[in-house]
Amino acid sequence: MSDQTDVLQGTLDLLILRTIALEALHGWAIAQRIQQISNDQLRVQQGSLYPALHRLEHQGWITADWGASENNRRARFYSLTKAGRKQLETEVAKWERLSAGVNLVLQRT
Amino acid sequence: MRLFNILRSRLRSILFRDRRESDLSEELQLHLDREIERLQASGLSRDEARVQASRLFGGVEQLKEQCRDARGTGTWDALVRDTRQGLRRLVRDWRFTTAAVLILGIAIGANTATFSVVNAVLFRRQAFADPDRLVNIYQNDPSGRPMIVTSYSAYMEMAEYTDIFSGTMAATIPNPTRYLHDGAVRDAVVEYATATYLSVLGLQPSRGRWFDQSEERREVPLVAVIGYQAWTGLFRADPSIVGRVIRMEGVPVMIVGVGPAGLRGTLDVGLGTDFWLPVTALPAMMPVAALRDAPTIFAPLFVKARLREGVTVPQAAAAMDILGRRLAAENPDQFKNMGEFALGPGITVIPSTDVRVHPQADVPFMALASLMLVIVGLVLAIACSNLATLLLVRGAARAKEVSVRLAMGATRRQLVRHLLIESLLLSLAGGIAGCILAWWGMRALQTIDLPLRVDMSVDYRVLAFAIVLSLITGVAFGLAPAIKATKVDLLQTLRDEGLQPIDHRRLTLKNALIVVQVAVSVLLLGGTSIFMQAVAATRALRVGYAVDGVAMLETDARFAGYSESAAKTMYDDLLRRVQAIPGVEAATLLRGLPMASTGMSIVADSATAQPGSEVQTAMLEAGPGFFETLRIPLLYGRAFDARDRADTPRVAVITEAMARKYFGTVDASGRRFRLQNDPNSWTEVIGVVRDTGTGDFEDDILDPIRPVYYRSHTQSGAQATTIVARTSRDAESLLAAMQRELRAVDITLPVMTAKTMAQARMESEAAAAAVATFLATLAGIGLVLASIGLYAVVAFAVARRSREIGIRMALGARSQQVVSSIARGVTGLIGVGTAIGLFLAVLLMLALRTSSGSADIGIGNMTVYRPSIDPLALLAIAAVTAVVGLLAALVPARRAALMDPLVALRHD
Repeated sequence: MSDQTDVLQGTLDLLILRTIALEALHGWAIAQRIQQISNDQLRVQQGSLYPALHRLEHQGWITADWGASENNRRARFYSLTKAGRKQLETEVAKWERLSAGVNLVLQRT
Repeated sequence: MRLFNILRSRLRSILFRDRRESDLSEELQLHLDREIERLQASGLSRDEARVQASRLFGGVEQLKEQCRDARGTGTWDALVRDTRQGLRRLVRDWRFTTAAVLILGIAIGANTATFSVVNAVLFRRQAFADPDRLVNIYQNDPSGRPMIVTSYSAYMEMAEYTDIFSGTMAATIPNPTRYLHDGAVRDAVVEYATATYLSVLGLQPSRGRWFDQSEERREVPLVAVIGYQAWTGLFRADPSIVGRVIRMEGVPVMIVGVGPAGLRGTLDVGLGTDFWLPVTALPAMMPVAALRDAPTIFAPLFVKARLREGVTVPQAAAAMDILGRRLAAENPDQFKNMGEFALGPGITVIPSTDVRVHPQADVPFMALASLMLVIVGLVLAIACSNLATLLLVRGAARAKEVSVRLAMGATRRQLVRHLLIESLLLSLAGGIAGCILAWWGMRALQTIDLPLRVDMSVDYRVLAFAIVLSLITGVAFGLAPAIKATKVDLLQTLRDEGLQPIDHRRLTLKNALIVVQVAVSVLLLGGTSIFMQAVAATRALRVGYAVDGVAMLETDARFAGYSESAAKTMYDDLLRRVQAIPGVEAATLLRGLPMASTGMSIVADSATAQPGSEVQTAMLEAGPGFFETLRIPLLYGRAFDARDRADTPRVAVITEAMARKYFGTVDASGRRFRLQNDPNSWTEVIGVVRDTGTGDFEDDILDPIRPVYYRSHTQSGAQATTIVARTSRDAESLLAAMQRELRAVDITLPVMTAKTMAQARMESEAAAAAVATFLATLAGIGLVLASIGLYAVVAFAVARRSREIGIRMALGARSQQVVSSIARGVTGLIGVGTAIGLFLAVLLMLALRTSSGSADIGIGNMTVYRPSIDPLALLAIAAVTAVVGLLAALVPARRAALMDPLVALRHD
């Protein structure tokens, strides 16, 4: 497990938005999905996941609806709102600028 | 859309708190369960999986708290929780709560009631249509200050400027008038106005009509419009009022309409006007025939005009300036020999919205209103610091609870918030209690039949004032104790060492608060003493006339429809009947009451004053037998008798004060003076009488001995109204007998005044006595509050030091020593507070003594009482404060001294 990285503060929002952009997911599934897609490189702690979800909902980027989970339990499924979609684009652009910048610095020094 | 989502989410969070909480639990539980399942799937046993998942998950409650914070509902939840807990706590400590709410309620109530008066006087505006186009017009005095002295003819000239003004109106200042209603004579406030009055203000009568131009003329039947407040109050909104004829000053007047609901009076100070009459009706209301027949209407008028569309205030001022100079050129007399009514050529035009009554008159109004607010504000200050003391003491007593909560992980912020919410709850409850008290108090005030009606109804400003006041109280005086209460040494408090280090610092918050309370109480007592002094001054006054066995009865024959000659016969008949009552030694007729004189400006043929310069005196309409009936000694010359008739030369009897002051000698008989505004009124002095303490000016008791002259009603033509009689027996039964005789003469004659001289004396002290009572009540409340504060502080100190006291007593200290050690600290506090309070009180007295105290605005002067600084009174105040304070402190101190050392040592 030691080779897993905790999700960087600030990128969690981006990852959550991106993850649920494809389909509505509940909290546990979001964490799992991020872990799987990143080939177990990224790990989302529930201690930061749930406050982030509630904050995003509070900000109006995502909404939550009750639905049935894969093993048929009631679960809160999060999906993007229209404003959330726009926010995702900004966040992606921001990330790309940031990572491009960081890469440049790493390559040239 | 995003906004909508946010709103929905927040609203849901707040409204469906329980559902949100269960949702959150369920969501997190699902996550945990899924995690366990996942771990189980990877080969762990169920128990191992559960343990590992839980460890990974961390504290569920903390996570929930973080989620709530993320939603922004954390604060809200905490508020709700703290409010609930606070309420529970306050209900449990109901003794403390009751005391605090009462303290605050009394203080906030007093402030709210006072503010509602001030609100009516200073803040509330009447709803005139398009008020920005209304201007007030004043003629100036020679030095250029605006006066309220515009004459009817000058107003007519102003009204000619129709290219500047779309309308012009005028009204007199409010006049006290009497009218007959239900067989009783009542006081009313009357304004004499022009027919244009209401249309210029842009208002409509609520019933009937306003009087029209054809009624603004002499020699037509009199009509009146009744004020809305008077109609709904005195006449119970009786719709048949329009068309009814009432007798006003004895003259029949028909009511043609009811004023607009929003119109209280021309002067925008909350005083209600009861009736409006045409300005031309003024002479008919005059008591003296000469004035009734005068060709001009002499009434200082208050003028308002509505600017035409497009005309500015400076343009109107320029036009009026030209008029002013023309008026000055046309009637030079009016502008010179008018004494205090002298005019200059200038005319002032001010937007009506910039002024309430008059640019100069507004100042004393404001000052008076602010002074009232300051005085009750002082009581609020005591109450607030008192509440702060109580909270401090309570906070210290809760140190252990606070420590436990801090140890359990509560932050200081949370605790301060919790304590602050408690004090806010308290102050809001106090505010509600205060509003109830204020409402109740104002209702009680309004049932008193005052000659003036102040509109004190509660409006949004009053309510906002009360609410803001309670909130400020709650925060300002809850914050410091809350911060202090949470600043505890955890270990120390939790171990609860009985031997607390004694706080030797002199300047603690608690001590400062006690000092403030004592100081303000002393200041209020000082203010009380000023007015007590005024009351005592009247009592101590040499009366100078008979009081025992004297009774007086006032009626006005005009209200019963008597003609002047019939009235004269009737009064003579009444006088004979009263003289025949067994025991009556003397009786006389006069106009008005024997102590009610009218201020007059005269010019004396003087030896002391400069010849021709005007001086102030007062006039009383007496008659033959007056000085004998009231046993006022005649020093020189003669009293009035049958020789003094309308066709004989004008004569007067003067007091020795007037003789000395204006003629330079006591024996002034034969000397002459005239009224300042009438060159043909030379009057000869026929006698000099001893001074009496009667001069009943507005400032009666404050400067009672003033130069007074008496004229005889048999000569002046003023109809007598009052019969005064002196008996060798009981004045009360004489009064009853006089009323029987009045009824026997004519049952329809209304009784206007019926009292014994002793009663009248008492009433003349009423005003100052009322102020003294008001202040004394406030000072009393203040002192009681300060005592409660002292008691609480000492009781608490004793409780905290009971172990120390126990040890001391076990080691042989005597109870007196214990008491005195406690008393020493308290004495210091009381001493400092008293000294500060006395200092402030002396400052106040000095300020009153040096204030000019008079505002000359052409409608009467306001005089301020100049108190002398009485060291004995100040000493008494200090003594009372010290005794009350020490008593409050000694009760708990004694309890400490009587403690059993064994019990005290075991005291927790």
